[in-house]
Amino acid sequence: MSANQSIWSFRFSVAAIVLIPVAVGINYIGKLFAGALKLPLWLDAIGTVLSSMLAGPIIGALSGLINNIIYGLTVDPISFIYALTSVFMGLVAGYMAFKGWISSWGKAVVVGLAVGITAVVISTPLNVWFWGGQTGNFWGDALFTYVMSQTGSTWLASFLDELVVDLPDKVITVLAAYGIYRILPQSLTMLYKNNNKTESI
Amino acid sequence: MKTIVVEQLKYRYPLTQTLALNELSFEVEEGEFIGIVGKNLAGKSTLCQALIGLVPHFYHGGYGGRVIVDGLEVGKSQVDEISKKVGIVFQNPFTQVTGSKLTVYEEIAFGLENLGVPRAEMIDRIDHALDLLQMLPFKDRAPFDLSGGQMQRMAIASIIAMRPKIIVLDEPTSQLDPQGSEEVFRAIQSLSREGMTVIMAEHKMEKVAQYADRVLLLHEGRLIDFDRPEKVFSRDDLDQYGIAAPVYTEVCKALDAKIAGEPYYPATLDEACKALVMRRE
Amino acid sequence: MSLYVNRHSLVHSVDPITKLYYIGAAIVVPFIAPSFHAAWVCLLLSVSLLLIARVFHRAMPILGFVAFVLATVIVIQSLFHPGNATAWFHIGSIGVYQEGFWYALGICFRATNIVCAFSILVLTTKPSDLVEALVRKGLSPRIGYVLSSVFQIIPQMVATMGTITDAQRSRGMETEGNLLVRIRAFFPLLGPVVLSSLLNTKERALALQVRGFNATGEKTFLHEQQTYQYSAVLQWGLIGVVIIVVIWRILS
Repeated sequence: MSANQSIWSFRFSVAAIVLIPVAVGINYIGKLFAGALKLPLWLDAIGTVLSSMLAGPIIGALSGLINNIIYGLTVDPISFIYALTSVFMGLVAGYMAFKGWISSWGKAVVVGLAVGITAVVISTPLNVWFWGGQTGNFWGDALFTYVMSQTGSTWLASFLDELVVDLPDKVITVLAAYGIYRILPQSLTMLYKNNNKTESI
Repeated sequence: MKTIVVEQLKYRYPLTQTLALNELSFEVEEGEFIGIVGKNLAGKSTLCQALIGLVPHFYHGGYGGRVIVDGLEVGKSQVDEISKKVGIVFQNPFTQVTGSKLTVYEEIAFGLENLGVPRAEMIDRIDHALDLLQMLPFKDRAPFDLSGGQMQRMAIASIIAMRPKIIVLDEPTSQLDPQGSEEVFRAIQSLSREGMTVIMAEHKMEKVAQYADRVLLLHEGRLIDFDRPEKVFSRDDLDQYGIAAPVYTEVCKALDAKIAGEPYYPATLDEACKALVMRRE
Repeated sequence: MSLYVNRHSLVHSVDPITKLYYIGAAIVVPFIAPSFHAAWVCLLLSVSLLLIARVFHRAMPILGFVAFVLATVIVIQSLFHPGNATAWFHIGSIGVYQEGFWYALGICFRATNIVCAFSILVLTTKPSDLVEALVRKGLSPRIGYVLSSVFQIIPQMVATMGTITDAQRSRGMETEGNLLVRIRAFFPLLGPVVLSSLLNTKERALALQVRGFNATGEKTFLHEQQTYQYSAVLQWGLIGVVIIVVIWRILS
């Protein structure tokens, strides 16, 4: 029970706070590299997921929120709208990480799928509300058009549009974050947790 | 007056077995300049951080004994409280920049804002700190646009503005070029002249000998010696502890030129000159 | 890094907090107002504010992307919107419908209005002023620190990234070619930047802690509080507008 309380605690270590801007920076750099290498993925949430793994769901959610605020302020105001998606991705990744789901590559794939589905579930209503269901991604929107013309359901079309765009991206994002997480020294990773105690010797 | 009292200090980092600090006991007088020497991993940084409570409050791990600075017991106080009495400057000037401020002036204000210092007093203190560190010409510059030496002086000014009685410097010039190092050493000297207690971990032994009133020699977490520089640096077993005496001491040792009326070799250029002149006569 | 445009204008001199209220109203009003006309009236107002601030041309690149997506929205909805019934005309066997067109136009007005409202904040407010205003309003200073430090840490990381890319290329790493080659290049590029940034967090955390970062007492500010005129009037006015629209919705 006590472990459960500490992962939802709002009392962070200073190292965990300092992790947030770095997480946002990693998101940014990931996106930049993915763009420069012309990868067909965004990879713009590696930092958010990594901060969740290191410091828990609340720091992960804050990283996601602040990421979208900063991105909205500096590059693209539309990103404010999707802050909610980032927050939930941070929460899910952090919760699963602290429940032991990042002990192997196989489990990390499961976390990736969970984070991806979370992103889809949160983004779909936002897409429907803001864009009438589209995502602005060419292949996704082509699928959207096809499904809508066949079934007449905006929601189904939008859900599938978001799914094909987001799910592969988020699985790879989580695997990238896990790959980094594995090689970090424990003397560093323990600084981000807030359950350490000093013992008398 | 004793401003630092360390009693039986023991410390072990989390997830480790060996003691980083092992039964350290020593005292420092107000206004003294203390040099901490020893090879890598001897415990210099750990000791520096124990004086301001980052050991154990930041790292946790195992802690025993007592550290008292200006009447405050470090192990039982918050780092924010201790930081009003002790300031610390780290090796890397880059990571000490908060990154949240746009100018040098604002950067120095950061700590004062957090401690709730009234605005008028804040401005006085910042101006004084800038002046002391000769940073006034840079006050409107962006912190990350400074050179390494300037950045480190800004870090010192940020600490000085918080008005601690004691300043701890953990190898403050190890990542600077020679010119930057010289700037920083001059700044530290001026702090000492102002009457501050200065504790400096340093591997440039000539500088330690030049500035320090006493030298604390650490090895594998234990205190080996704590005495005047010429006494510590005249020891025959220094290489056993992984340090080399200042070049002046080595030269005088080779020529067997001792300080007048003492069994020790000089550790500074001045003393060495005197001893060599005397030996010729 | 910021989209802020330094100008003197009526809009620039408005309290950042008031601009946040405006964003709230710009999102809520067209959404709950029971009239199609609310959407274009709000949009007209937001565009006017951008023009008054003389930053409209700086909003163009942002609006350009939005316009592109919205153009596809109009086409797709006019053709396939589930409520389509009244065809305007046919292109071959495909009908272009009124219902879908008007629905899409509503989406366009609302979306553009929201983007404009955010642009007003972003283009006319210095990020540091926004953060300081929020901290004075009670935002945790630690979160304030995080927000303002991102603006400086990202350029630092981008600089590190440039150095690493050059180093890896000079060691012969291929960054062009088929997809597999490019994916393989991603991790050696990202890894070192991430590791060095994470290692820096430890030292930065230490340095912050000795500068009162965790202090719990009342915080003070180096800069005098900026005073903005009519903040209360504008903020209550915006709240009033939202309330009126809600009542209008309930009554209609």
